[in-house]
Amino acid sequence: MTDLPHSPREHLRRPETRAALAIQNQILVATREYLAERDFTELLPPVIGPVTDPGSRGAKQVDIDYYGHRYKLMTSVILYKQAALLTFDKIFYIAPNIRLEPPETFSTHRHLTEFHQIDVEIAGASRDDAMAVAEGITRHAVRRVVDRAGAELAALGRSPDAFFDLVAAPFDRVAHATAVADLHGFGVPQSPDAELNWEAEKQLSRKASRPFFVTDYPKGSRGFYDREDPTIPGRLRNFDLLAPEGFGELASGGEREFEYPRLVARMRETGENPAKYAWYLDMARHGIPGSAGFGLGAERLTRYIAGLDSIWQATAYPKLPGVVSP
Amino acid sequence: MTLRAPGFPEARVRERARSGTGAVFPAQEEYGNTLFGAGPTVADTGDDLEHLRLVPPVFVPYRLEKLLELAREPTHADVGLDTDIGGLRSTLPVYVSAFGSTAAAADTDLGTAVSRQAGRLGIPMVVGENIVPVNGYRPTVRRGDSLLRRIRAYADAAPAGTGGVVVQQSTEDADTEVWNLAYSDPSVQPLIDSGRLAFELKVGQGAKPGLGGMTMIGRGEAERLAGQYTVVDLPGADGVLRCGTPGTFTEEILRQQVRLMRNNFPRARTWVKLPPGRDVGLAAATAWRAGADAVTVDGAAGGTGWAPRAFLDHVGLPLGECLRRIEPYPNCLLVSSQMWEGVRAVKCLALGARAVGLGRAALLAVDEAPETGLANLVDCLALEMRLLISALGKYRADQLGDEDLWSCAEDRSSAGLPRADREPVAY
Repeated sequence: MTDLPHSPREHLRRPETRAALAIQNQILVATREYLAERDFTELLPPVIGPVTDPGSRGAKQVDIDYYGHRYKLMTSVILYKQAALLTFDKIFYIAPNIRLEPPETFSTHRHLTEFHQIDVEIAGASRDDAMAVAEGITRHAVRRVVDRAGAELAALGRSPDAFFDLVAAPFDRVAHATAVADLHGFGVPQSPDAELNWEAEKQLSRKASRPFFVTDYPKGSRGFYDREDPTIPGRLRNFDLLAPEGFGELASGGEREFEYPRLVARMRETGENPAKYAWYLDMARHGIPGSAGFGLGAERLTRYIAGLDSIWQATAYPKLPGVVSP
Repeated sequence: MTLRAPGFPEARVRERARSGTGAVFPAQEEYGNTLFGAGPTVADTGDDLEHLRLVPPVFVPYRLEKLLELAREPTHADVGLDTDIGGLRSTLPVYVSAFGSTAAAADTDLGTAVSRQAGRLGIPMVVGENIVPVNGYRPTVRRGDSLLRRIRAYADAAPAGTGGVVVQQSTEDADTEVWNLAYSDPSVQPLIDSGRLAFELKVGQGAKPGLGGMTMIGRGEAERLAGQYTVVDLPGADGVLRCGTPGTFTEEILRQQVRLMRNNFPRARTWVKLPPGRDVGLAAATAWRAGADAVTVDGAAGGTGWAPRAFLDHVGLPLGECLRRIEPYPNCLLVSSQMWEGVRAVKCLALGARAVGLGRAALLAVDEAPETGLANLVDCLALEMRLLISALGKYRADQLGDEDLWSCAEDRSSAGLPRADREPVAY
């Protein structure tokens, strides 16, 4: 495992850093190219708001004093993505997020406290539509990196052969309940009512040779905005996209709750106080489109494609859980 | 400020806090010249636990078991009281209940003193829900007992492997993300790493079931908190009343909140605190089935906080009735309300509770003796529990059962309360 750099200067001057960031640049170009060709509009992301995504596991939001009011730095732009569909039907952001992750996540090698997401939202779309876009971006990014950044991949010791299976067939899909049963079969503990734990995710990821989707997470494992299946209570119309080779989760997404009474009920089920979501609920009362979308971690996708040991190698200014750094 | 606790046996708690186990017995100067045993010396509070008596048997198979183990006649000192309280190892079936930002606990260092002593005793401690929104998270010069100060005081004093800190959160505190704060704070990691952090979802409380938290706060403070709480000006009062909401719960909302706690904080234990509501049995079962490590029930006589007189006198089920309505379940049941001595505690253990919570009594004890008050009070409680449990012919708290109780009100046996003539199953 590569050691943490002692200083920003040391990190920024490493050839490995330069290669990783050059690959990341190709990924972002590929993303914009792919989405622009499909009539998505890129919007500039909001950075602060009275409220932000509460759906991150165990992480703390960052409060700021906004003229005497407590505001938050975005943990994700999910609420604003839904709002943006009042203007355009297909939108995306490449958005900065801040999450004060529990220090234990330091050891997952895929958690940063400051990171970016390729955040996509599509009005009137189904989960399948959103998954197709997530898969499309990933394939297009891999293709562009292999075509345009072969030298950087070589410098990092990453063979293009790693993507042979990715190119060969569509991404597999496995329902959460099936994944849990498989894990139990491998002797890995995993609650059927919860998000996949770090070890479980790593095990599933290691056994795969191309990215794959885990779908239908149980209610109680995600934020209030992931839509509950109207025909199967307790099951969410959502998905995660996991990278192979142990790289783990790349993206989370799904269909969204958008009807006011459902949103309020789901907020209570997730322990939220609806009063603090006043602007969002007021908007939902007047009607927002049903939609599906996802957030795809830019640094995580970089780490997977570049084959990096740790996520911090995929960012110019690493900020890691529990580590105070510039 | 000296605390007062009307309606609570304050003087006796203070005596125990001051004197320790000597206070378990009548005054020594009365020995040899006073005749005891004429009747109860404790006032009837109207709680149906008061109508139960502990009834030792003549035949004592568990004592025989213990005799074989020890190769001598067992005494009360052989009663083992260490137990698991909601996933936390405890030296006694006792924990310190939440007292939040109520002025009695928050404006002084009482909360920190309680934390230090609870830690030393190796018993779990719950920190009240509104400490962070009202007192803050990190210690400051201006404020007294922040959450982190209490946690640190506890962790510094606790022996390795025992006890734990339980951080409460209610609907409004979700705004402050109290649990996320604690879970992501590097200084709390030693507690997490040693399995000694739990989070308690506050669904309600004993003193004012159906209402949210209430505290009197200064007018300057009111301005700061007005965006988050309803603030009521009471004519004639120096401060204003800060009112939390009770939060909206259904079976599904409670089930999913418990699951989300387990999902988001997998290394912390999950506790749920229920008010003495008429559906307390269903609520407890719902929380346990969703995976709660402990359910805490606060009887109507519980609570340290400010409450309208109408609620203090007339609203909510007494603790004994709560226990009657809760079906046995393998997971941990905890109770609080008027706890300070061994009889009530042992009755609750016999009715299915795993441990009892000290609220007002803990505060009074530390108010009486900041360094040793809680330890003295708990020593008295432990001694009484050992005396009572051994008298019942048992040597562990989990051997207690409803065969150890007798209801003096005849009609209670038909209402489902225990009867002395019932055959014990475990023998």
